[in-house]
Amino acid sequence: MDFAWSDEDEVFRRELRAFLSETLPPSWDEIARDGPGSDAQAAFAREFCPRLAAKGWLTQSWPREYGGRDATPWRHAILGEEMWRCGEPRSSQYMNVNWIGPTILRYGSEEQKARYLPPISEGRAFWCQGFSEPEAGSDLASLRTLAIRDGDAYVVNGSKIWTSYVNHADHCFLVVRTEPDSKRHHGISVLLVAMDLPGIEVREIPSVVGERYFFEVFFTDVRVPVECRLGPEHAGWDVVSWSLATERVGAARYARAADTLDELAAWARERGLLSDARLRERLGEARALCEAARLLVYRVIDLRAKGSPPSADTNLARVASTAAERAVADLALETFGPEALEYGHFAEAHFRLAMTAGVAVGTTEIHLNLVAARFLGLPRE
Amino acid sequence: MDFAPSPEQAAIVEAVERLLGGAAGPERAAKLARTQGWDEALERALADAGFLDTALETGPLEAALVIEAVARAGGAVAIGAGVLVAPLLAGRRLPGPVALAHAEGREPTRFADHARTLLLCEGDRARIVPLEQGDFAPVRSVFGPPLGRLVRGLGARGEQLGPGSGERLLAWWRVALAAEALGAMQAALDTTVAHVKQRRQFGRAIGSFQAVQHRLAHCAVLVEGSRWLVYEAAYRGAPAEAAATAAAHALGAAGTLFAETHQLSGALGFTREYALHVFSLRLAVLRLEAGGPSAHRRAAAEARWGQA
Repeated sequence: MDFAWSDEDEVFRRELRAFLSETLPPSWDEIARDGPGSDAQAAFAREFCPRLAAKGWLTQSWPREYGGRDATPWRHAILGEEMWRCGEPRSSQYMNVNWIGPTILRYGSEEQKARYLPPISEGRAFWCQGFSEPEAGSDLASLRTLAIRDGDAYVVNGSKIWTSYVNHADHCFLVVRTEPDSKRHHGISVLLVAMDLPGIEVREIPSVVGERYFFEVFFTDVRVPVECRLGPEHAGWDVVSWSLATERVGAARYARAADTLDELAAWARERGLLSDARLRERLGEARALCEAARLLVYRVIDLRAKGSPPSADTNLARVASTAAERAVADLALETFGPEALEYGHFAEAHFRLAMTAGVAVGTTEIHLNLVAARFLGLPRE
Repeated sequence: MDFAPSPEQAAIVEAVERLLGGAAGPERAAKLARTQGWDEALERALADAGFLDTALETGPLEAALVIEAVARAGGAVAIGAGVLVAPLLAGRRLPGPVALAHAEGREPTRFADHARTLLLCEGDRARIVPLEQGDFAPVRSVFGPPLGRLVRGLGARGEQLGPGSGERLLAWWRVALAAEALGAMQAALDTTVAHVKQRRQFGRAIGSFQAVQHRLAHCAVLVEGSRWLVYEAAYRGAPAEAAATAAAHALGAAGTLFAETHQLSGALGFTREYALHVFSLRLAVLRLEAGGPSAHRRAAAEARWGQA
């Protein structure tokens, strides 16, 4: 075991921080206030991501032939930590580089790699994720959106919900049922759908989490060319599972939580509040949760770096990250008191982010189910 | 970064587990717990096999792995102090068993009635005190480990270490506590998982109920988080912040593990014939040492952000 960063990784983090401090404008906090999905942040990412790509940093852990630098997954993890720390200047492009691109790398044909990967590695692509449906949330395998083969196209009918980042997405990573009478995990396929196809309609779902945060996407007789199918027909559940395992620890939420906690402690110290033993105790408790989450995520990256298949370690890490984020959010609100209610206050911004943690990319209950089954080996019935 | 044990680390764990397979285990631990016994034979076997020199000869992370393995096997020995705290503080092996205590107060102290050496944390400084017969009297307790209470003043006996040694003692103590809690938590969880898989009610294994599964899965998250915090803190040589953070998380988790594993074991968990109490009660004891979870949490915050 070795818990030290390599010298090269340390150098990279320093260079990245220097790059961020000279690249993020003075108005960055204002831009980042409404979250990664806001129009302002997406507009910023259109300039920012190509610059990261030009530095060779956006997809450095990908193979060289597909726009990467053959770097270890650790390098990409450092990028993720530093990006989330400052509020994710990549906007929704973090999804492209964390799991959409890697899933295409793993399951895509050479034609698909040539078509979809360069825009991602160059920082030009915006994707959204079409998984959840009104009747298929935690029970994703009950999804009903149908894609019926008709000559050289699939005709897609159905709807997706809680989809973030649709407002500027040019593609959707869409999970559909290609066999009408199939059940559960069978008969499912993945389609890479251009969002400008006729028959796609988008409706915003107003939410308390943030503006332009959730959307509903309706598909009416949308003709998606067959060559846009990723992976095998009717047997796409493997693709979905692999992508979920990659997604679940993609966002470095623990790093953001730890930074918020540092800010909170600094604020408390300035006001002499750290003399309160009870506050110190709660700060220490929340700090331990952040650190546990960090190491559990690192454990997943370590397994990934060694080429191990996805495991329940991912679910352990996600549950721990959620716990850390919530503990920090609660403590921040209680410490600041009513001041934290004002929109844009950093405690409030963290609180809104933390609200979604136990629900997004699989509810905590689903993660606990998977830990019980795959990590502890508990029986189904 | 590399989270896999090195071949040497794997070999150490395998070797100590082989020794423990014959010289420790839940049954032996349960028998000893009944009389608050100290496992002198195990302590000698560990010493003879060289495991007590692990910290100085190989490193603190390897020593933490030994502590974890001994705790997982229910070994009734002062393993944390013997294999990690004492050698790293003194730079040599001290006559064991070694007990750890804060200078103030005369509270029940683990292994103190058998200990030949006491490490005292006196604020900024640590003191190594050779013990004599009669310094400590045994304290009766249902919790399992032997406990001793100081019955006479120690005076200026022993060797006072330099400034900062008190902090060092406390940091290593925290890592040792967290490592021991990790092993005991793992054993308590394993015992309970095995139980809920075979115990049937309402025509099915109780481990198939989601209400049960989620609680054990939550325990697993806490145990695994503690694991990496302990390993990292030991690897880094127990800096104050990492040591306190590991102890804060692991000893906090120990409270949850105690409550959940007992709840899910039903009345069986109260019996001496079932091994859970060996581990669960040890967790309860570990939680009270070195100030307890509250003190570890405050220490983690103070190390990171200062006191005021």
